[in-house]
Amino acid sequence: MTQAKIKRRIFPNFALGLASLTKKGPSGWMIILGLIIVLALVIMTAIGPWSTPYDPIKSNVGPIRDPPSLKFPMGTNHLGQDMLSRTLVGGSIMLQVSALSVLVCFFIGVPLGLFSSYVGGFLDSTLSLVIDAIYAFPGMVIAIAIASVLGPGVINMALSIAVVYIPSYFRIVRSQVLSIKELTYTEAARAAGAKWHTIILRYVFPNVIPSIVVVVTINFADAVLTAAGLTFIGLGVSKDIPDWGWDLTDGWRYLSARAWWIISFPGLMIILLALGFTLIGEGLSELLNPKLQR
Amino acid sequence: MPERMETIIVVLVLIGIIVSSGTMYYTATVLSNISTVSSDVSALTDSVGDLTSTVGDLATITATLAQSVNTSVAEIAALKARLAAIEASLAVRETLIVGTTDSVELTLDPAQAYDYFGWNILQQISGTLVSVKPGSATGSDFLPDLAQSWNYSADLKTWDFTLRQGIKFPDGTTFGATHVKYSFDRAIGLIPQIPEGAPAGLGYDLIFNRTEVLSTYKVRFHLNMAFSPLLGILSARSSAIVDPTYAPVGVQVNHTIGNARSSTPVAFVGAYVLSSWDRVAGRDVEIKLDANPNYWDLASGYPKLKHIIFKFYPDAATLRLAIEAGDVDMAFRHISPTDVLDLEPNPNLRTWWGSGAFIQYLCFQEKRAPFNDKRVRVAVAAALNRTLVTETVFLGLAEPLYSIIPPAMLGHTEAFTKLGDANYTYTISLLTAAGYSAVNPLKFDLWYESSGHYPSSADQAVLYEEALEDPALGGIIDVTLKNADWASYKKNRDNEIMDAFVYGWYPDYVDPDDYSFLYWAKWLHINYYNSTYNPDYARYQQQVALYDQARATTNTTLRTLLYAQIDDIAVEQCSVVPLYVSSAWAVTKPSVYGIFLDITQDMRYWLISK
Amino acid sequence: MEVMGLRTYIITRILLTIPTLLLLLTMVFLIMRVLPGDPVALHFEKKAEPQQMEQMRHALGLDKPLWAQYVDYIGGLVDIEYFLAHGYPNLGKSMQTFEEVGGQIFSAFPATLELAIYSMIIASVIGILLGVAASKSYNSIPDHLIRGVGTVAYAIPIFFLGIIFQLIFGVYLHWLPTGLRISPFINPPATITGLYTIDSLLEGNGFKFFESLKALALPSLTLGIVLTGIFIRLTRMNMLETLRLDFITAARARGLKESTVTYGYALRNAFLPILTMMGLQFAMLLGGAILTETTFSWPGLGRYIVQRINFRDYTAIQGAVVMFGLFVTLVSLVVDILYSYLDPRIRL
Repeated sequence: MTQAKIKRRIFPNFALGLASLTKKGPSGWMIILGLIIVLALVIMTAIGPWSTPYDPIKSNVGPIRDPPSLKFPMGTNHLGQDMLSRTLVGGSIMLQVSALSVLVCFFIGVPLGLFSSYVGGFLDSTLSLVIDAIYAFPGMVIAIAIASVLGPGVINMALSIAVVYIPSYFRIVRSQVLSIKELTYTEAARAAGAKWHTIILRYVFPNVIPSIVVVVTINFADAVLTAAGLTFIGLGVSKDIPDWGWDLTDGWRYLSARAWWIISFPGLMIILLALGFTLIGEGLSELLNPKLQR
Repeated sequence: MPERMETIIVVLVLIGIIVSSGTMYYTATVLSNISTVSSDVSALTDSVGDLTSTVGDLATITATLAQSVNTSVAEIAALKARLAAIEASLAVRETLIVGTTDSVELTLDPAQAYDYFGWNILQQISGTLVSVKPGSATGSDFLPDLAQSWNYSADLKTWDFTLRQGIKFPDGTTFGATHVKYSFDRAIGLIPQIPEGAPAGLGYDLIFNRTEVLSTYKVRFHLNMAFSPLLGILSARSSAIVDPTYAPVGVQVNHTIGNARSSTPVAFVGAYVLSSWDRVAGRDVEIKLDANPNYWDLASGYPKLKHIIFKFYPDAATLRLAIEAGDVDMAFRHISPTDVLDLEPNPNLRTWWGSGAFIQYLCFQEKRAPFNDKRVRVAVAAALNRTLVTETVFLGLAEPLYSIIPPAMLGHTEAFTKLGDANYTYTISLLTAAGYSAVNPLKFDLWYESSGHYPSSADQAVLYEEALEDPALGGIIDVTLKNADWASYKKNRDNEIMDAFVYGWYPDYVDPDDYSFLYWAKWLHINYYNSTYNPDYARYQQQVALYDQARATTNTTLRTLLYAQIDDIAVEQCSVVPLYVSSAWAVTKPSVYGIFLDITQDMRYWLISK
Repeated sequence: MEVMGLRTYIITRILLTIPTLLLLLTMVFLIMRVLPGDPVALHFEKKAEPQQMEQMRHALGLDKPLWAQYVDYIGGLVDIEYFLAHGYPNLGKSMQTFEEVGGQIFSAFPATLELAIYSMIIASVIGILLGVAASKSYNSIPDHLIRGVGTVAYAIPIFFLGIIFQLIFGVYLHWLPTGLRISPFINPPATITGLYTIDSLLEGNGFKFFESLKALALPSLTLGIVLTGIFIRLTRMNMLETLRLDFITAARARGLKESTVTYGYALRNAFLPILTMMGLQFAMLLGGAILTETTFSWPGLGRYIVQRINFRDYTAIQGAVVMFGLFVTLVSLVVDILYSYLDPRIRL
């Protein structure tokens, strides 16, 4: 398989690719929808600081726990902060944390998986054992333990989430590589004298990419949810940064006071964000699954 | 292979069958209950029919004497049933069901217990030599309890107590001085073994030298130092009298499943006895108290209610829902400020308010810049806006605090009002003098605790920051919020890495002695008491001298003066800045009354009636 | 290629779990001691003299060197006598309450187990049925609808859904309790399995059964709905693949009823990966119900762990994590063995 052919098949030209998605049926539309949602939320958060009607962390801009009204379309929270402003900017931390953790996961988990499974032997078995042990660890507990050690902050949260998901990348890459390793054309390449890094980069990696891409999107969605979960338990960022996770946590406390508007709007945003990523992931996995091409 | 598939499906179906059969069983039970009830109803209508026919047969009553006798027998039986029903409803009227989110932390042993709820239960079932008058405005009105009278030597190192006579334990033993000595010797003896217990924490081994039995009803305490707050210590739950039968020396008494008497070493001389204590996996499930027939103060008419039942709820929201639904008669600790204000206008509930004793304060690390400079500390203290926090976060259910000693207590002043709240002009002038400006702002980290150990820490911190970065200050202060969970927070405190941090305190005993020292407490690690770092070390020494003086006298006027002087120095130095004091509240059904929420924070259930 | 015998496969897998667990234990042991703050300081609410701290440190066994603590701990785990006497392994004493950690875990575990079972039942039954329905109507409106529901269900933060349920069913409608396994005014059924629903049935008490079911409703619905998404997707994907295979066309050609073809032939063959997922998810539920348990104040193992982390209760956390790891490994082992029994290709 030549370089050019690989590129054309596995790395479609972006604009053409997007346009061609519409022709691919419901999976294509799922991907497009997911992309639109994610992009919309990213843009909303990016221009957030300039679009908020009130300062999102200024207290008492309105009455405390005021239900939605004309003046405050999403109501106010228990500190009298405007919920609309908080919802517009609250995604920043979550987006940063999930993006960072996916990057870390990808650049540690994938190379590790590739290397370990290709080399095989004792190294592979030991590494798999260690990864399995991490996998057996209840995810939240690792995240909590690491977050407690490192303290609050975007980077620390991202790191603690990343540690939980690296095993998934590792395992998926490894299982893919193991099956590709035995295929005839890989053997042929080896017989022809290709070096191991050439084989990994040109033969193994391109075939592994489809599954990784799907995992990345699911990882994004999970990271968003785990970041919210960490904040819920109290290990989030400092409270003077507007964050959807904080609003969910506060909203829980005011349940019995029937202040439904504090959790609803940020919660909806989190759902949308996770949904966007999941849609992309699901669409891609359907599209790239050869067993469904009929 | 296909059979395995079937097996699995069969298993799932089986589970479904179990579930549906369970539901059917329940429906059957309900239906059978309904049929029992309807047969009762028809039986009642029958007897009503009987009664009317008896009335109609008045003319034939003499002729049918035998018949009347039979019906009277039936009527007597009916009356008995009515009486039983009335008794049952009376029992309900004599029972108080209390809902709470607290739980006994570990034991009900006075030598170990140091938590609020453990002490609360102990107070109902045990006795101390003296107690604080309910509703006391200063927390220093001591009443004779198990002791009848007392006096002390001029040097306040020898205290004699004459005990009340005729108090009996449930097994018939008469209470006397030997029991007092036994209790204190045991508690102090257990200190090496239970370093985290109340006697250790309150310093019993430092205060008490020995306990001496003078006669059957006279006991003498020899103290190591002049200690005027002794009555406060003696009214604390760690001074509860134990029953030697159940309180082995040198052994901590733990919860025993199914045996309430063996679960606590105290003598049951209080208004109630512990009749059952259910606990699972470190958390209480139910506690029952029954009126004590041997209560020494039965003549007073207390306890009013014969039974107290504690039911435990996992969080404030569930507790609020429970009292709203009328599941419990009383909800005490903890209903959130939002909920209690929501419930106040509810005509089906009554809300009780009282003074609180829990305070929070701001500490400054004096080991290094910026807070080694007194001017900077005072500047920041003056810029604080306590009202913003108490009104927004606590909805007015906390009071701004201007002295480390809370109101309703001897020695309280309004000293810190001298600095004012949000006194920005003063702050700017002090900071400018110290070399700060808008281009060179004062930067520091403000720490708060994030695992819920203190109420609403995060919200408080946000508002402290807001006040300190108010536009009126022109950006001369730049605060960075930092947080840590309780364990790390304590570690950070000990390692002295926090520039400024918020801390809290609730008292062990109700005396200014237990508050005033907070300005220089060594375990705060703020280095105010360290001559290497504090150029005004002499002022600290003056405060300590005043403190010791106040401890060595019982003259309340003199003590008030001394504590006021300590406060004045504190305002000048701003080592520790008081922030607010919380209130206390309880929510009950309207039929409940007799609740006192005074400075002691004690809930005396024997005073409550329905 | 030679296929490994089933027995050999099982033995190999069981042997492999031991080093995994040991690794897990070592990791949690070390992680705990790296956490800032220590259990000694947390015993003293207020002031503490250094001497008192030393006494406490000694009582907790923390004054011994690290390797000695480690050896003590491992020694406790393999103490057969203790295990036979108590019914649970020696996981040490809690550093906060000095109670046996094993006992605490085993009293908290049934709550999590019960929650996991009911959530799994809801998730798998609804998920599988919907997944089959979606695969049957591939690319039509019902298919898109079901996929949409599944995707959304998965994207909802668990505690958010839990809060919404609490709000609607607990606060506004007052239908269902929002916390606690059973109303505080009802005595829980006598402990046989620890599962309130089973125990009340065993006791013959229909009322208690119903009450504990009511308390289970909201938390298991929350967990179950979020997991449904996974099952819908998995079932649909596997059914779509299987339905395309030749033997299905052959079965239809033979004139068999459509429902027989769907459930009797297609689902049966597609079920294996679904079964694996069920096992994995169940194990994850046992370990990951932390958020749900916190939201509903459910007295299970998840909440236990979170509380204990705050207290830096090393032994309790170690014990709980080891137990979790044990269950996850056990369940994956059982699933793998089952899978290999049913599909010999895996044993290669």
